[in-house]
Amino acid sequence: MKKIFAIAWKDAIVRFASSSELLFFIILPLVFTFLLAGGTPSNDDDNRIHLVVVDQANTAISQNIITELEKSTAVRPELLSLKEAEDLFDSRRANVILVIPAGLDLHAIQNGTAQLDIRQQPNSLDATVAVRAVQTAIRSVSSAVNAANHAVKTAEENGGFKSEAERLAYFDDALKLAQTMQKDAPERVTVIEGSTPDQIEYDPRASSSAGQLITWVFIPLFGISALFAYERQQGTLRRILTTPTSKAAYLFGTISGQVVMALVQMSLLVMFGSLVMKLSWGREPLALFVILTSAAVAAGAIGTAMGTFIKTEGQASGLSIMAGMVMALMGGCWYPIELFPSFVQNIVKILPTTWAMQGLLDLVLRGGGLTEILPEAGVLLGFATIFFSIGVVRFRYE
Amino acid sequence: MLKTFLIGIKDLRLAFRDRAALILMLAAPFVLTLGLGLVTGRFSGNNNSGLSDIPVIIVNLDNDQMGDALTDVFTSEELADLMEPVLGSDPEAARQLIDEDQAAAVVIIPKGFTRSIIPQENNFATPSDPVKIEVYANPSRRTSAGIVKSIVDEFLSRVEEGRVSGSVSIFQLMLSGRITPGQAQAAGIAMTEQLQTNTTDSDLAIKLNSSTAAGEEVDFDILAYLAPGMALMFLMYTVSYGGRSILAEKTQGTLPRLLVSPTSSSQILGGKVFGIFLTGAAQMLILIGASSLFFQLKWGDPIGVIVLVLAAVFGATGWGMFITALARTPAQVASIGTAVMLIFGILGGSFISLDQMPPAIQTFSRITPNSWALDGFTTLGLGGTLTNLSTPIAALLAMGISLFLVSVALFGKKNLVQK
Repeated sequence: MKKIFAIAWKDAIVRFASSSELLFFIILPLVFTFLLAGGTPSNDDDNRIHLVVVDQANTAISQNIITELEKSTAVRPELLSLKEAEDLFDSRRANVILVIPAGLDLHAIQNGTAQLDIRQQPNSLDATVAVRAVQTAIRSVSSAVNAANHAVKTAEENGGFKSEAERLAYFDDALKLAQTMQKDAPERVTVIEGSTPDQIEYDPRASSSAGQLITWVFIPLFGISALFAYERQQGTLRRILTTPTSKAAYLFGTISGQVVMALVQMSLLVMFGSLVMKLSWGREPLALFVILTSAAVAAGAIGTAMGTFIKTEGQASGLSIMAGMVMALMGGCWYPIELFPSFVQNIVKILPTTWAMQGLLDLVLRGGGLTEILPEAGVLLGFATIFFSIGVVRFRYE
Repeated sequence: MLKTFLIGIKDLRLAFRDRAALILMLAAPFVLTLGLGLVTGRFSGNNNSGLSDIPVIIVNLDNDQMGDALTDVFTSEELADLMEPVLGSDPEAARQLIDEDQAAAVVIIPKGFTRSIIPQENNFATPSDPVKIEVYANPSRRTSAGIVKSIVDEFLSRVEEGRVSGSVSIFQLMLSGRITPGQAQAAGIAMTEQLQTNTTDSDLAIKLNSSTAAGEEVDFDILAYLAPGMALMFLMYTVSYGGRSILAEKTQGTLPRLLVSPTSSSQILGGKVFGIFLTGAAQMLILIGASSLFFQLKWGDPIGVIVLVLAAVFGATGWGMFITALARTPAQVASIGTAVMLIFGILGGSFISLDQMPPAIQTFSRITPNSWALDGFTTLGLGGTLTNLSTPIAALLAMGISLFLVSVALFGKKNLVQK
C-alpha cells in the first residue's frame, strides 16, 4: 500500500512540476465549459429562415410589414442597413433580402405605386419560402386598401363617378368597410401540436458541463501512456525492476494516482457546474461518485493499455489528445448524441465516453440516482477490466 | 536568400519526419473531420443543414374549389423541391403518422371549407360559420412544420383578400345604388369566379419586384465549415511546433553552430519563420487535398482557397513567433501552444458556429486567425470567389505583420538569435 501511495505521489509531483499543467487541469476545462454552454443552440432557439430586411421607408406601413413578418412561422426578419445587407448577400451569407424603399406609405399604395424589392440567391428554397412569407405580410397590411381600390374600379365599370370628390368619398367608404371586414375576419386555420415524443432532451448547460468534464479528464488519463513512455525513455522504469515491486503494484499505483487527480479535477468542475451554472449535480453524491470513479478508472485503464503499445512520449502525448478529442466528439460530449444519425448512435456505444456521458446526463439532466447509473457504471468498469488486463499482460519495463 | 530558403526547407523536412508531430498536424484534424462528418450525417445523407422535400400529408375532405386549390398549391411545380406532399383521406391515420414522426405536418381541409368562404346564393350579408383548416404539426420538426403553416397562411391571406375585396365591391355597389339587391346575385357569381382566380394568381397592392442573383445554386456542405475549422485549429499546433524548434535548436546547440557560420541572424530568423510558414501551408494543403479526395468536399474557388490558405498560415505564423518570443523553454512553447490551439479553436468557431456566441466573444474572437480564415472558407464554400475575400485576407496579413514585428522586438530584447 505504501508503495502504491509512493508511486501515486511521485506521479503527482512529475505532473505538476510545471505550473502550465494548471492550464489543462482546470483553466481550459472551465473556459470550454463556459463557452460551449453559452454557445450551443438549444431547442428553444429560433430556427426560422433568416430574412434580411432593409427599411428605408421608416413609415407606419413599413413598420406594419415588419411586424407581420415577425409573426411568420417561416421567416425570422433581421433589420440591417442596405450596406450590411448587400455585404451579406454578396458573400452568400443571406439567401434573401427584402428592401423597403423610401416613400412606401398609404398614399403610394392608393396610387398603386408602392413597391418592394426582394433579392434572392439562385434556386434557393429558403428564398422561395421567404417570398411567400413576404407576400402574406404585404397582403395583411395592404388588403383593405386593395379592396377599396377594387371597389372603386368595379364602380367605375358600373356607371363611374360624377366627380373626383365622389370617387374619393367612395374610396373612403370602401376602405372603412374593408377594414371592418378584415378586422372581423374569422380565424380559418388552427394549429394542433402532435404528440410526437420530442427525442432531444437537451440543456446546453448540463450537456456542456458533463461533456467538458469527461473530455478534460479522459485526455490526461489517456496521457498515462505518455507517462510510461517518459519513464521508459528516462530509464526510471528499469530502476523499479531492481526493487521488490510487482508489475501490478506499479500499474495500480500509477493508475490510482492519476484517478485520484482526475477525481479532484472532476470535483472542481462539478463545483463550477453547481455554483456557477446552477446545475443540480449534488442530488445523489454517492451516484455521482460511482459514475465519476468508474469513468476515471476506465479512462486510466485505456491509457495504461495505450502505454504498452506506444514507444515515445511525443507520440503518446499526441495520440492521447487525438483519442480523447475523437472519443469525446463521438461520445456526445461536444454535441448531443440525440442529434447524431441513428446508426452512429448505435456505433458509438463501443466508446467509454458515450457511457460516461449518458451516466452523467442521467444524474444531472434526467434526475436519476444510483439505480439509474448502475448500468453505465457497470459498462465502464467492464472497459476498465478489459484494458487493464491488456495493460498488465503487455507491460514491459524496457 | 538561398540560406533562408535552405533553413526553411530543412525545418519543413524535420517536421514531416517527426511522427509524433504528424499525429497532431495531420492525423488528428483528419480523424476529427471524419468524426464530425459522421455525427452530422454528412456521410449518411442525413445532413440537416438545408430545408427540402419536407414531408407533408394533405387530407382534402372539402373536395371543392378552395380545398382543391390549396391541394394544388402543395403539389405545384413551384414547391416541388421544397415539399414532398402525400395525399391522404383519413385524418386519424394522418395524425398517427405525425405522432410516429413520419412527416412534418398534416394539413386537414375539412368538409364545407369552400362553402364557408364563398357566400351562398343571395346571402352576401351573412357569412357562414368559419370552417377551420387544421395543421397538425410535428413538434420535433418545428421549422418544417412552420413552413407548412406559412404556406397555408399565404393561401388563406389570398382567399381572405379576395373575399373582402369582392364583398366590399358588392356592398358598395348596392349602397351607392349602382346595382339592385337582385343584381347582387350575378355580381356574387362574378365575385366567386374572381375569388377562384385570386387563389392562384393575384395582384398585390404593393408590387413585389423580385430579382435573382447571378450564378448557380450552391448547396452548402456542412463539412465545408467543419473541415477548415479543424484544419485551422491544428494549424496553430504546427506554428507553435515550429516556434519550439527555434528554442530547441538553442538548447541542443545547433543554433550557436549556425551563428558561427557565415549566416546572419536575420537570415536564420527568416529561415525559421519561412520553415514554419512552409510547414503550415503544406499541412493545410495536404488536409484540403485529403478531404477533397476522401470526402468529396468542394472547398470552392481554387485560387481563393490557395490565397486564403497562405494568408491564414501567415497570420498563424505570426502567433507562433509571438508565443516563441514570450516563452523561455521549448516545453513552455509546447504547453502554451497547445492551450492557444484549443482556445483559438473554440473562439475561432472550430467547435461551434461563432454566430451562436455572445456578441462580446464574437468581437474578441477576431484576434484569432481561425475566425478570419473560417469566414473566408465559409464564403468560398458558399460559392464566393477571391474577390469576396478581401476583408479576411487583409485582416490575416495585418495580424501576421504586426505579430511578427512585435516578436522581432521581443527576440531582440532576449538576444535569442545574436552572434
